Amino acid sequence: MAFPKELIRNFSIIAHIDHGKSTLADRLMQLTQTVAERDMEEQLLDSMDIERERGITIKSTAVRMFYTAKDGNTYMLNLIDTPGHVDFTYEVSRALAACEGAVLVVDATQGIEAQTLANVYLALDNDLEIIPVINKIDLVSADPENAIHEIEDIIGLPAEDAPRISAKTGLNVEEVLERIVSDIPAPKGDPEAPLKALIFDSLYDNYKGALSYVRIMEGTVRPGDRIRFMHSGNEFDVTEVGIFDPHWQPVKELTAGEVGYISASIKSVAETKVGDTITLANNPAKEPLHGYKQANPMVFCGIYPADGADYEALKEALDKLILNDASISYEPETSQALGYGFRCGFLGLLHMEIAEERLEREFDLDLVTTAPSVIYRVVMLDGSVRMIDNPSNLPSPMEIQRMEEPMVQAHIMTPPEYVGSIMELCQEKRGIFIDMTYLEENRVKLTYRMPLNEIIFDFFDGLKSRSRGYASFDYELGEYEQSDLVKLDFLLNGDLCDALSTIVHRDKAYAKGRAVAEKLQEVIPRQQFEIPIQAAIGGKIIARETVRAVRKDVLAKCYGGDITRKKKLLEKQKEGKKRMRQVGTVSVPSDAFMSVLRIN
Amino acid sequence: MAGIYIHIPFCKRKCRYCDFVSFPDFAHEDIYFVALISEMRRYASLMRGRRFDTVFIGGGTPTVLKPGRLKALLTEAKRCFDIAGDAEITCEANPESASDEKLGELIEAGANRLSLGLQSADAAVLETIGRIHTPDDFLKAVSATRSAGFSNINADVMHGLPGQTAESYLDTLRLVTDLELPHISSYSLILEEGTPMFGAVSKGELALPSPDEVADMEDAGFEFLDGKGYERYEISNFAMPGFECRHNLNYWDNGEYLGLGLNSHSALRLKGEWTRFHNTERLNEYVKELGEGKLPVRDTQKIERGEEMFETVMLGLRKTAGILRADFERRFGVDPVEHYAPAVTELELDGMLEVTEERLFLTKHGLDFQNEALIKFMEQ
Repeated sequence: MAFPKELIRNFSIIAHIDHGKSTLADRLMQLTQTVAERDMEEQLLDSMDIERERGITIKSTAVRMFYTAKDGNTYMLNLIDTPGHVDFTYEVSRALAACEGAVLVVDATQGIEAQTLANVYLALDNDLEIIPVINKIDLVSADPENAIHEIEDIIGLPAEDAPRISAKTGLNVEEVLERIVSDIPAPKGDPEAPLKALIFDSLYDNYKGALSYVRIMEGTVRPGDRIRFMHSGNEFDVTEVGIFDPHWQPVKELTAGEVGYISASIKSVAETKVGDTITLANNPAKEPLHGYKQANPMVFCGIYPADGADYEALKEALDKLILNDASISYEPETSQALGYGFRCGFLGLLHMEIAEERLEREFDLDLVTTAPSVIYRVVMLDGSVRMIDNPSNLPSPMEIQRMEEPMVQAHIMTPPEYVGSIMELCQEKRGIFIDMTYLEENRVKLTYRMPLNEIIFDFFDGLKSRSRGYASFDYELGEYEQSDLVKLDFLLNGDLCDALSTIVHRDKAYAKGRAVAEKLQEVIPRQQFEIPIQAAIGGKIIARETVRAVRKDVLAKCYGGDITRKKKLLEKQKEGKKRMRQVGTVSVPSDAFMSVLRIN
Repeated sequence: MAGIYIHIPFCKRKCRYCDFVSFPDFAHEDIYFVALISEMRRYASLMRGRRFDTVFIGGGTPTVLKPGRLKALLTEAKRCFDIAGDAEITCEANPESASDEKLGELIEAGANRLSLGLQSADAAVLETIGRIHTPDDFLKAVSATRSAGFSNINADVMHGLPGQTAESYLDTLRLVTDLELPHISSYSLILEEGTPMFGAVSKGELALPSPDEVADMEDAGFEFLDGKGYERYEISNFAMPGFECRHNLNYWDNGEYLGLGLNSHSALRLKGEWTRFHNTERLNEYVKELGEGKLPVRDTQKIERGEEMFETVMLGLRKTAGILRADFERRFGVDPVEHYAPAVTELELDGMLEVTEERLFLTKHGLDFQNEALIKFMEQ
């Protein structure tokens, strides 16, 4: 028998990084005895190592809890955890669309951050009931009154009676549960209507295949049903439906208002796209749920094995990685300098970093990545348009009429004392000032229009260091705009090193060319001949450095009869050579390609 | 050819760059001596049928042993092993410990070559690197060595030392050549992890000359030695004609040698298989195991034929005369130039290697980049 719909509450938690989202989630699970005390592992929902280390959530996930409220009723609470980063805005919006309410966690010592604000707006767009909660009131530096003012002034939500809690100690957390039950509406939807299940995430499991994490908006789904993904049109037979207990727990059916997973022996998460609507093949819904978008990669880079022999291993790793993350795109590419590798596309810079880290960690690979690039729109002389995500593919300037680059609207929130240096940073990054508003006495919101390619480099780091960590930042994508862009090339001993080419704004080309050439001079080991390093735009050399020739190998002494030391030394050098890439006559260590990415 | 190496792991003070097994106190000298004698006896039957052409007592500082010990060691070696009548028998000594007494003892026991650790004739450099002798001690030691009856004398010198300049290095070589010593080894300093000097350099307390400065020193020094009639017969070794060190030449020919004493290394053909092993580097294990009648051997490795070939190339190309093709073919049944054809051709084209009817050898340029040349052979 289906659980009475009026006793179901579907909600998510909105919070800035470190404001205590995962801790609160853990505490709720503990209070509702969803997890036995002994199984309690810190921050259960963040299941990937990287998520735990970085303290952020990358994938959405969900958990079902039962809570007996003060009114005597036992409620089913479905907590849908959302990713906490700007790269995953679309995923967040779909997860929020699966809920009727959201708990907004604000750190009493920090106040509201840009990212939180962005997610609150997403929640409001989805007509969610928002319950503000003030966290970390146990800390000496807590200023709950200020946090309440910020919520009221900035978001415009009444917050005077917001629960003041400490997720860490458990103080007043029960009050949050009561508010969820009393304030968040029960889900609507007709169990008898044609099935409409919203996919808010998907995950690949070695045994079950690709699982769709869904909120049933209308209808009912059971094992044996033939389902259709309304956007892709593909059909599958359901093998299992289940809930999150927090581990997968098969059930007989999922019905309108419920949250759970659908398993249908699907081979890849590319079939179970976030935002798609699942319906029944023999009794389909008329229309899919609105809000579906194809997630398009925004940031591209080349990924190569540090040791060329690991190409196949890298390919297999990427194949496996996208089983679980359909938003990564990749295709083989060849670089003269780096050999065989892949051009990979990501939703954003963090997404890229996480993917690289997973490849290295989970698949034990040693990688070389090239500088990240956005997609440039190149209008040719004949009026045709080419989209370029790899600087090496940029047509000759002679054939180009104009170039355009993607812009974003960047929102930065900061205490007023850092406004000056942040404005300088935005200026440096070619930002165009749009607006500055005092949200309240201690908080300023800056809005800039900026090129995406300036943001994907080191903007976030710069922002953090200039604001001593207090500024936060969010962006939304805008239009393409014409820009004076040039391709910056590097030549080693006269030979072009394609893996180092980047597209930059002309005004920045000189400084960047000089900085990279200097860095290369540091990281390229001396060789038997002198190596000129040149930065060039078109045919014009704009910077030059030289790596002087080395005169001798280190001559190892003959350690008495111990020749194993000498052999080991040679083995090491030989291994080192494997990690070298040949650019014309010059041997370049794989690390060198990475080190030029870290230039400020 | 086959050689015997005997290690004496004691020094009055350990030099700051040294990472050999050696102890600056003599508390265990007696038990070590007993263990060493029993090790020789253990090997006596195993080495039956092998003729040894060289013996080398190294250290540490062999001449710090109690009077009579060096002679006893050599006498025991001659009892246990078949040592050729014309064998080259070398002992290492430091200037401050090359006493008339010890030198006389060595001559009596049949030693015919003495290797003196000078390292530098610059008093300031000597102090920086932790040597306890002065340039003057060296002069005295040379004259004592000659008076005792040695004519085949080597001086170990170093370049690339902290505080050393090309001029200071040339002064050292001038001193040695003025004394007309027939053999000079000049090794460039290798900063080994774990040594006090490594620590001082990493902390910035001590500065080493730059690689370019070392190269300058080396070029100037080697040219100087050439002018004085010394032949560079190996990367770091120079000799008047006929005074090449036969013990070391045997290493570079990848010949057999038996190492005795703490942490000494051996290479022997055992039951037809090329085998390498070494003794423990822990004094207590060494003494204990020999006391129990066991050999304190570690890491015994059977070297495959391909590996043995590479070793032969790696060691042989240290000699300026290089590798005799006929010797290589006799040992492995294949001509090295044919076997390593791709590497040989590439290195010839790069001007690093030369091949004649009889030999293959590294050019001056090839010797400067020996590691790179060897990696080519290795990769093949």
